Amino acid sequence: MSNLKEIKRKIKSVENTQKTTKAMKLVSTAKLNRAKLAAQESKVYADKINEVLSEISYKINQYKIGGIDSRFFNEISDIKKVDILFVTADKGLCGGFNIQTIKEVNRLTQEYKSNKIKVRLRGIGKKGIAFFKFQDIELHSSYEGVSSAPTYKKAQEIISEAIEDFMNGITDKVILIHNGYLNMISQDLKVNNIVPVSIYEGYETDSKSLMELEPEEDETILESLIKKYFEYNMYYALIDSLAAEHSARMQAMDNATNNATERVDMLTLAYNKARQESITTELIEIISGVESMK
Amino acid sequence: MDVLKLEIVTPEGQIFSDNVKNITLPGSEGEFGVYPLHASLVSLLQAGVIDIELSSGKHEIIAINWGHAKVDESSVTVLADGAVVVGGSSESAIALSLKNAKELIESMSDSSSSILAATAKIELVARR
Repeated sequence: MSNLKEIKRKIKSVENTQKTTKAMKLVSTAKLNRAKLAAQESKVYADKINEVLSEISYKINQYKIGGIDSRFFNEISDIKKVDILFVTADKGLCGGFNIQTIKEVNRLTQEYKSNKIKVRLRGIGKKGIAFFKFQDIELHSSYEGVSSAPTYKKAQEIISEAIEDFMNGITDKVILIHNGYLNMISQDLKVNNIVPVSIYEGYETDSKSLMELEPEEDETILESLIKKYFEYNMYYALIDSLAAEHSARMQAMDNATNNATERVDMLTLAYNKARQESITTELIEIISGVESMK
Repeated sequence: MDVLKLEIVTPEGQIFSDNVKNITLPGSEGEFGVYPLHASLVSLLQAGVIDIELSSGKHEIIAINWGHAKVDESSVTVLADGAVVVGGSSESAIALSLKNAKELIESMSDSSSSILAATAKIELVARR
């Protein structure tokens, strides 16, 4: 009898877990729709600003337009120190979402280290920070609570520090890694070389004329455009990552709910078997009792 | 090449994307017009209105608060911080968009003369 009770208790517990995962899936679905919209809207702007910057970069490299501080645009051949910014979630229970990003960060770190290039890590999101802390890998700076509620201002703060170091020559390259939203069921890991501004992949232009800048006498236009470029890329990485996180969690929770259903079925079968067994034992006891009385 | 591909995007999404005849942009150094085959140019924009002549010959007005414009021979890309399309199908929709456009410009611009110039232009278009 004790066995029966035990199985019954297990079934209840799995059913309760299932309720939780089901609710979490619903919550993620609702949040995903909102995050997806935000990400899609800003994708247009992010794409355009990257396109404009690549064109400027392309023209500057081609024609060597003088007078512009070209640290942003020229590929530095002798890289000594790289800044890697990575975005992970603040919460877990979203399948391989965080670990994918972490793996890529580790891979890049190893690659740079084998080339004798120093790597500095800047982490965003509790999960990634916790991972590197556990591994005893030092993070240069870490930001918690940003990835679950990204705002433009927070993105500004994070990226400005990295860019300042780049401008002062402390670092030679800044890379931004995040796991982005591809569709409802898949995520897409994105590695973005923020500075020096890389030329858009497959970029082609039929425009051959020299690019003019207006107003000409100061560099405020490029400065403000570049500032916008950094900040917006950072912001976009944050909201894209949030949308991806929700889609990953939605899927993980869907899997968990399905697994729980399977588990309940299995346990129910075991319960029925045990019940039948106990009935058979009882019957045998009664029959053998009657037999012995004869 | 007698048309320009114009795209206006803001952080909230794409506002405008179509082939147009010509565009007048509120540059920080002054208003300037862009026709097809314009030389490459990147310019800072100030609060004001973008006047677009569509390929149908009609005009469309979009108010922006701040941004950048990238011009080359065949296309113009405007990256604005905020933009409001002035116009609508009904009288009340036009009035509402006018109000929004004026607010947008007033919130960004600090020189009263440029506010006046922009609002005057908006009103001129509204009367058309």
